[in-house]
Formats: sequence, C-alpha cells, structure tokens
Amino acid sequence: MPEIKTQEFTAASSNAILDPKLRRALDRVAEGFHVARLDRIEEVTQQTWDSWKDQARNIKVHTIEHLDYYLDLLDKNVTAAGGHLHFAKDSDEANEIVAHIVRTRNIKIATKSKSMVSEELGLNPVLEAMGVEVWETDLGEYIIQLAEETPSHLVAPALHKSKEDVAALFTEKLGIPYDEDIYHMAATARTILRDKFMEADLGISGANFVVAETGTLVIISNEGNGRLCTSAPRVHIGITGMEKVIPSMQDLSTFLRLLPRSATGQRITSYVSMATGPRRLEDEDGPEEFHLILVDNGRSKILADPALREALYCIRCGACLNICPVYARIGGHAYGWVYPGPIGAVVSPMLVGLPQAKELPQASSLCGACREVCPINIDIPKMLLDLRKKTAESPDTSLRSAPEIERVLARLYARLMSSPLLLKTAVKFGRFAQKVGGATPFFSPFTKDGKWIKNAYLPILSRWTKSRDLPTLPDKTFHDIWEKELSRDDS
Amino acid sequence: MTTPKSDNMPGTPKSDFLQSVRDALGRGNVPPAQLYPRLTDTETELEYQSTQIRRRLAENLPTLLDKLADMAAKGGWKVHRAAGAEEALDYIQSVAKDSGTLKVVRSTQDVFAQIPVDDVLNNIGLTVTTVERNNDTTEEYLKEEIRQSGIGITGADYALAETGSIVVLPRRGLARLISVVPPVHIALVRAEDLIETLDDLFLLRRLEYHQQGSDMGSYLNIITGPSRTADIEMTIVEGVHGPKEVHMIILG
Repeated sequence: MPEIKTQEFTAASSNAILDPKLRRALDRVAEGFHVARLDRIEEVTQQTWDSWKDQARNIKVHTIEHLDYYLDLLDKNVTAAGGHLHFAKDSDEANEIVAHIVRTRNIKIATKSKSMVSEELGLNPVLEAMGVEVWETDLGEYIIQLAEETPSHLVAPALHKSKEDVAALFTEKLGIPYDEDIYHMAATARTILRDKFMEADLGISGANFVVAETGTLVIISNEGNGRLCTSAPRVHIGITGMEKVIPSMQDLSTFLRLLPRSATGQRITSYVSMATGPRRLEDEDGPEEFHLILVDNGRSKILADPALREALYCIRCGACLNICPVYARIGGHAYGWVYPGPIGAVVSPMLVGLPQAKELPQASSLCGACREVCPINIDIPKMLLDLRKKTAESPDTSLRSAPEIERVLARLYARLMSSPLLLKTAVKFGRFAQKVGGATPFFSPFTKDGKWIKNAYLPILSRWTKSRDLPTLPDKTFHDIWEKELSRDDS
Repeated sequence: MTTPKSDNMPGTPKSDFLQSVRDALGRGNVPPAQLYPRLTDTETELEYQSTQIRRRLAENLPTLLDKLADMAAKGGWKVHRAAGAEEALDYIQSVAKDSGTLKVVRSTQDVFAQIPVDDVLNNIGLTVTTVERNNDTTEEYLKEEIRQSGIGITGADYALAETGSIVVLPRRGLARLISVVPPVHIALVRAEDLIETLDDLFLLRRLEYHQQGSDMGSYLNIITGPSRTADIEMTIVEGVHGPKEVHMIILG
C-alpha cells in the first residue's frame, strides 16, 4: 500500500486552502465537468436520467447482495474464455501475483493505463524494484509519475498541475526545451509513449466493469492508451476491486450512459474497450495471455457493514468530487490517500482503518450535494454521519476525534437544551452577564454593532468564534414575547 | 497461443475468497433466490428480441441514419454521407491528399469489395498495406507497417445511432491496431451495419455469444470520435495516443 497520510488531514487541508493556484485549478474542474454534466442531463430529461439511476442502483444492489455468486460465475467465464482469474485478499497478495507473472513470463517493460486500484496497491514500486520499466500512459498519470506524486482526482489525476508546472517538469525530467503549449506537451507524451506501447511485453489496465456472464473486462477511456495497453503487449493483466462485477453484458448500457455523463459530461467516451480472454487463433493481433486480478483489500469490511455497504456501488465517476464544497477548496491530496472527495471520505477510512482516517468523515458540511449528483444514488452524507457516530461512540478514546472536554460540554449542552427551566435560567444569567458588559470576560464587549460576538474569551467558545460570529442574546426571547404579547392577542 | 501452467501462483484460493465474501454478507452459500432476469434469457428469447430490433430498424432506417450522422458529428467524427462508391472513393482520396501521408493500412473486410480503395490511393502515389497473413508477413512486420502508416481504414461491425459510434469486433484481416495507431482513421459504414441503441448492441452480442458456443471473441471496441485528453488545465487536445482525425463515411 502507498503511504497513508490521512492523519495529517487537518494540516494538509489548511495548507491547501491557502494555495491560490490549486484553487484556480479546482475551479476549472467545477466549471468544466459539472456544467457539461448538467447539459447532458437536460438533453435526456431529468425523468430519463432518474430512471437510469434507479436501474443502475438496482443492478448494483442485486450484484453486491449476491457477490459470491457473481464472482463464481465470472471466474468460470474468464476461464472458459482462456483467461486466468486471480483472487487477492490484500495489496501484498495482488502485488505478488503480478510479480509472479512478471518473473515467469520474463517481462521487461510494462505499460499501464489508468487504474486507481493499482494506486491503492502501490504496484509501481514493486515492479520497479524487480527491474521492470513501468510506464503510466494516461497523460495525467504520466505527468504525476514523472513528478513522483499521486493522483488528486479520480478522473483528472493531474488537475492540480498548471501548464507551467508540466512544462517545467518536462524540461527537468525529459531534458527538452521549456514549452508551455499544451498541444506540444501532449504531442511529446504521445511520441515517447508510442515507442513504449510497441516495446512493452506487459499491459496493465484497471477495469470500470467486469461482466460475469461472459468474463469480460470493460475499460472506458478517451485517450486510446487503454486500447494500446491491452492490444500491443503479449500479456494483459487487468486489476480491479471485487465489487466491479455486474451480471450481464446488457447491464452495461445503463452504466455506459451514466458514467461518462457523470464524469466528464460526455455522452460516451471516445473508447469503450472490452476484453474477453486472450487473442483467439483467428485474431490478427492482441495479447497471448489474459489475467484478471480481483482485489478485496478491505472491501469485505465495507461489505460486512450494512450501514456502509452501498459505498461498494460506486463507479468512480468523480461527480461527488466536482460538486463538493470541501473538495473544491482543498483538492484531492489533502485527503491523504488514494480516494479523495466525499466518496473517499467514506472508502478511505474503511480501507486504511478508521483510527488513522478519523478526520475524513468530518470533512463535509453534510450539504447533500454529493448524494444528489451520484449516478447510483449513494447516500454519502448518511455514511459520513455513520462514521462520525462510530468515532464518537467508540470505547477506544484514540478513535474519538473530539477532546474529552468537548464531550462533557456537549453532554451539558444536551441537558440544558432538554430542560425549559434550566434553559430559562441560563438565558437570564447570560443576559445579565451581557448587560454587565465589559465587566465580564466571558461574553466580551467585542461585538459587531452590538449584535454579534466576534471574539469570545471562554476557552471552548473562543475556538468556535475564531472562524464564526455568535449572535448575542436578545433582550427578549421568543418565550417572553409569546407569554407577554402573542398568547394574549389570541385569547 | 500457449498459456503456461500457473504453478505456485500466489493468491487466495477461490473457495476461501468466496467464503470471506459470504462471511461479510453474513450468510452461507445461498444462490440468488431470483437470478438476474437477463441471465435466464434463452437463445430463442434472444432471437425473438433480435427480430424485433431488426424490424424496428427497417421501419425507421432513414431517420436512424440521420441520427447516426448527427450523433457521430457531435461525437467528433467528420461525417461524410456518400450516395455511391465513387463519391466515397473521391472523399477518401481527398482525405489522403490532405493528410500528406505516403502509406495507408487497411483491413480486408467485406466492405472493401464495394469500395475498392487501393487503386484510387495508388493513383495518387500512396502505398496500401492490407492485413493478410502469409509466409512473408510476420506480426512484427504488420505492427511496423501500421506504425508507419498515416491513415488506417476499416469497416464497422455495427454503427450505433444512439451515440454516433462504430463497433469493431475481432475478425481475420482486421488488426486491432489499425483503428488506433495511425493519426487518421477512416471508418466505412454501410446502412446494414446500423443499429439503434446500446441495448440493441449488447442484446445482439449476447445472441451471437450463444450461437458461437459461448465465445464473445477476444474484444469489442466502441469508438466515438478522435482520441482526446483534457488532463492539462482541462484543455481538450485531440490525438493524444490514438487518431487525431477520424472520418465516418456513411454509404447509402
């Protein structure tokens, strides 16, 4: 597994907010993907869109509830098509399978098309340690591989880099003259990677879907690198999470309608590439060997938790990232692990362990936008709340994100708010303290136009007012008004 | 095609893996009470549905051809509708001239009997390589020829009106790389290749799967427009790894 930095979320997100370049890049994504997505929905009508979403969710619910059955069916059909299906319980096992294939097939050069699961496994360092040349071929992935970074978005992995960043990177790593023309930079990558596609003995891909009925791996892409990776080398290894299986080939049409529209606002991507086993005798080209590695790596923990199971319905379109007010301000890296954004805040804690990623479920305003845009109707806010509940109620104090004093105060607050008498008394005391004004350090005189407390001196309260203003207590409460004026009018 | 025996292959045995999934689901080995409806389709049912698809196509052919052209253009194809072979050949010749290339590679699908491109391309000084396996041509030679070519020409197994796509399936005389490696791709689409929706495509493929002894064939590519990326600053660049320029010639 790659390095886990989810513990550093608070510091990382604070730094990210202050980065104006990142903010510009994130704005571009919000505008580009999100607006195009809305256009596509309008085009097909909201009613049709909703019916597609329902279909997709029904398929996912059925498949995940019977995951063992469909994995078995998939295995039979991959084998029938002449391919090999491997099951890996964790990242080490998945990497060992790839390493074994690499060793026994004498692989020297591997080209990779985009795979978030391979990021999750930390596969590249394993291959490099074996002396294999590994080439990421998706342009964004190629850029971050050169920069020795990690993806910051599920669909646009290098969105955090400006064209000047990429030009400087190409100059440094490729030794070419500085040229920030985006078309020229794409052409440079084409030229370099074209040679690699032709020389490679191994192509590694992810999979957007795997079809149980036929043993088929499905890749959705725009650049064509997925097609080249799975066509030119003599061995093809597909790596994906075990939840990606769908029952029938015909189920694909719904997902092919939803995924590109949700991800980039395209009606369909340039390429939908489906691979079923290795080349057949009558084929003119294609890989001689086909391997599919299905990875658990913590997914069965999500499966075992009824409150979080629906996280496995995710098709990684990134729509929840593009709409999220938190992601829009901090970007993907602050989340500290492979999967960023709202869905990442659910998935990452389950895959790396809640104690290490307990801050992530807090990284949400619970506005519900992610749930609204999700093409599978996944209730992300509900799962974030569930994870918050798990951290708050855990007997393990290290899992709790709030300090003990906050918990005591919250309990006192709950007591106060559930007793009219206590509340009335407290309000009276507070109003008195407020009137005494400058004499009391608790509710200070530092108010804006007398209506807002800007700067409280009370220890916990001061943390609240550091980034928010608090209204002062009014002269009369609603209760007072009701008792003295309104209720009399009515009688 | 040799598949080495997977001796000592690491990984979790299937039975253990499936057991861990069942444990997570909190139940034993219980198959779905109701199988996913589509998996119970018989060949007869699929055949019946495919005749419905064909009938719907026949009834709406002109409208659907217009839709194909419209959606293909939206998807980034340069669409040319040709009334006859001569018109198609003229168009191919002009694309070839504009490209400035000297080499063209093409498949040997049936459509080339109808549209004999070799002569018109030879006439303007281009060489045309065809995908044919004989003693002189190795796969490496073919790969290199495709790489050197400025244009790849293929037919289509299907053309999809819903998305403006072509669908390419494996067959003798058609290398996968022809439609992705050269910077220009020309796809020849006949009216009989047309189908309406993605659902139609996958239903027909499922029928063929049953008819061909449960073999899907090694690949299925749905191609819609040029290769493109927006990975640097969301700026769309065409032709990043695949073709920059794609032409769909609709015959009839």
